[in-house]
Amino acid sequence: MEPLETARALVAWTPFLAGGFVWNIVISLTAMAIGTALGSVLAVMRTAARPVLVRASLALTAFTRNVPTFVVLFYLAFVIPVEFEIDNIVYPFPAWVKASIALAIAVVGFVSDNLSTAIRAWRGGNRGAALLFIPGWTSYFVIIVMASSTASVIGVGEIVSRCNTVIGATGRNGLMLWVYLYAMTWFFLFCFPLNLLMARARRRLQTRIASPVKATDVAAAKATDTD
Amino acid sequence: MGLRSIAALFLILLCGLSSGEAAADRLDLIRKRGTLIVGVKGDYPPFGMLDIDGGLVGFEPDLAWEIAKALDVQLQLVGVTSANRLQKLEEGSVDLIIATLGDTAQRRRIATIIEPNYYASGVNLLMPHGKPVSDWTDLRGQKICATQGALFNRPMAQRYLLDLQLFNGTRDAKLALRDGRCVGWLYDDTAIAGDLTRQEWAGYGMPLPSSMVSPWGMAIALDARGTAFERALSDIVAGWHRSGLLMEIERRWNLKPSAFLFDAHELWRRRTPGGKLLCARQPDGEWPAECRNKAILTSTDVGGLQRIGLLVKEQTGLNVTIAYDDYDRSHFLHGLLVTLELVALCLAGSLLVGVAGAVAIDARVPLLSRAVKGLATVARMTPPLLQIYVVFFGIGGVVVQTYGWTFDGMAVTALCLSLYAGAANIFAFLEAAAHLREGDAAFRLRPSSLRSSLPAAVRVAYGPLVATLVNVVKATGMASAIGVPELISASTAIVADQGNADVMMNVLMVTYFLIVLLVVRLFGMLERRMVRHGTA
Repeated sequence: MEPLETARALVAWTPFLAGGFVWNIVISLTAMAIGTALGSVLAVMRTAARPVLVRASLALTAFTRNVPTFVVLFYLAFVIPVEFEIDNIVYPFPAWVKASIALAIAVVGFVSDNLSTAIRAWRGGNRGAALLFIPGWTSYFVIIVMASSTASVIGVGEIVSRCNTVIGATGRNGLMLWVYLYAMTWFFLFCFPLNLLMARARRRLQTRIASPVKATDVAAAKATDTD
Repeated sequence: MGLRSIAALFLILLCGLSSGEAAADRLDLIRKRGTLIVGVKGDYPPFGMLDIDGGLVGFEPDLAWEIAKALDVQLQLVGVTSANRLQKLEEGSVDLIIATLGDTAQRRRIATIIEPNYYASGVNLLMPHGKPVSDWTDLRGQKICATQGALFNRPMAQRYLLDLQLFNGTRDAKLALRDGRCVGWLYDDTAIAGDLTRQEWAGYGMPLPSSMVSPWGMAIALDARGTAFERALSDIVAGWHRSGLLMEIERRWNLKPSAFLFDAHELWRRRTPGGKLLCARQPDGEWPAECRNKAILTSTDVGGLQRIGLLVKEQTGLNVTIAYDDYDRSHFLHGLLVTLELVALCLAGSLLVGVAGAVAIDARVPLLSRAVKGLATVARMTPPLLQIYVVFFGIGGVVVQTYGWTFDGMAVTALCLSLYAGAANIFAFLEAAAHLREGDAAFRLRPSSLRSSLPAAVRVAYGPLVATLVNVVKATGMASAIGVPELISASTAIVADQGNADVMMNVLMVTYFLIVLLVVRLFGMLERRMVRHGTA
């Protein structure tokens, strides 16, 4: 296929793909909101005085760490109904919410681990170290945005599944490589600068902290990743 | 925390999640909603396909319009695939599917199929001309591409001992045939006939006789059997056979006139000597036996382990086919094996990429280090699923056209996940090296001194490394997106055949959970050994 023709096709489909990317952001923000709320509860429980609470929180955190997001996605798609009827009103349970819930499970583990560290630092009077939670959280948001592409496998109309729609609609297999690369560029342009900014924020915070945090602690704080 | 307590917790959560209920009277719901939601195919021209505006059109969408008109409601069409159509029905996201669904005794156990049937088709093989194949038995042990969820996959595989390669949709299966991953594509003769009219399949043909001719039925949820909704649909289809509307729509889409529709038109208009319609409802509400699908009226015989399994199903509602059904069990175990292979490949690959990349960057070779760092950044800042698509479909498509080489789905997945996770490992190693330089300014990850420097770096970076490796294990399921027959593919294929989503999804989840737990424990053991032998 002609390069010019390919470029023209990509430009023509850009608004459609951009609309898909908005969905990636919406799914990710929802996942972060749910995950942060639940993860905060676990983090507070972990720093509590009662050992029972600490143990329960650790167990739940370990659970969220070991469950694969990708499998949960299929689980929710297959097992949870698509609409509920309560008092004659039909409430939909859309696929994108299921994707957010699946991703939120990973966020719960991350927030539980990192917020409990931050809470301890705060109580120990080390405010700067506690504030490291913020760039860490934002970097994790970037990871979740990338993971939100997996929502395409359960039929959410985000950017990757819209790529497939574009390829199907144009019927040109030669376009495939370019459409996928184009979508990849979207992710890179969103994720890379944000990640760079957060790395910078982290370094500034670290230099401001009177007693410097060891590199290993920072590495450990970043460790909780998602698939 | 103990393994047992995690497992107990897990089960509690699962029980809470897995209950769902369908609406009792669907026709009321549809009238209340004012819209009929029909699942049709988007990848099956001319029965169901996308037009240039992305709308669903074809033989089956036309039928859906006729039904909406008859029920006096709006119509919403939803695209479904062979793999998910019965699932969508069961979960209630569509009211009805008209999606090239073959009517079989087994399907009738998981959905309510509307009688009379509205079309019929058989199964055939699309393959390049010039292959010395004249009979199905010539294909024994050969690789055959197939689309997940098609009802003939299993009997054809069993009868002719085909080595089926299952793909997520017809597009992927056809691409695989084009790329030479298999001898032919096993699919419905009506669909293949549609493809053969197109230029892109010149040089291909359908040399074998069609097998397993079976009628197609519209389907509604299993619990809608005997409802007003079923009766209304049934009457509508009977009316079509009498008026000849189906033949008219068949002509509209340039389909070869089918013997099935011709015969049905005759049958449903036939009158008894008394002048009444032969195919009229009996007092019990059923159609007379001569107007029904003959294949369904004969019962299938079961025995042995299968009888016990079906007994469990009848008693408890749990259809654990992987316990009693040989085909499903070997399918699932094969998936487990593939997943474990993938796990091993990804773990080794991402460690290798991590070490090699970190050494290349830490060596500070002017151009190389910069290039590796750039690549690692791109690999880390783009979604692995997209990377897999780019390599498998994008680059793989170009390579097969130019050189004739086909990419292996498992290798592509292992490569992409190794790069994605490996990139994270590179940065973990580099950070560890920087930390070690605080104590020993001359510390470097050099190839010559790797034997002493690597263990030190691993010890410092152990936490982040393990986190990344555990994540790559969790991500191996992505291979299912490109048709690698691993655990998720196997489980969804079984659900598509058997309709036992609740059982299979729980089995899948627990299996994956145990795999991850195993890997976590393995790394915990390694860490304890490292501490014991630690020299740092």
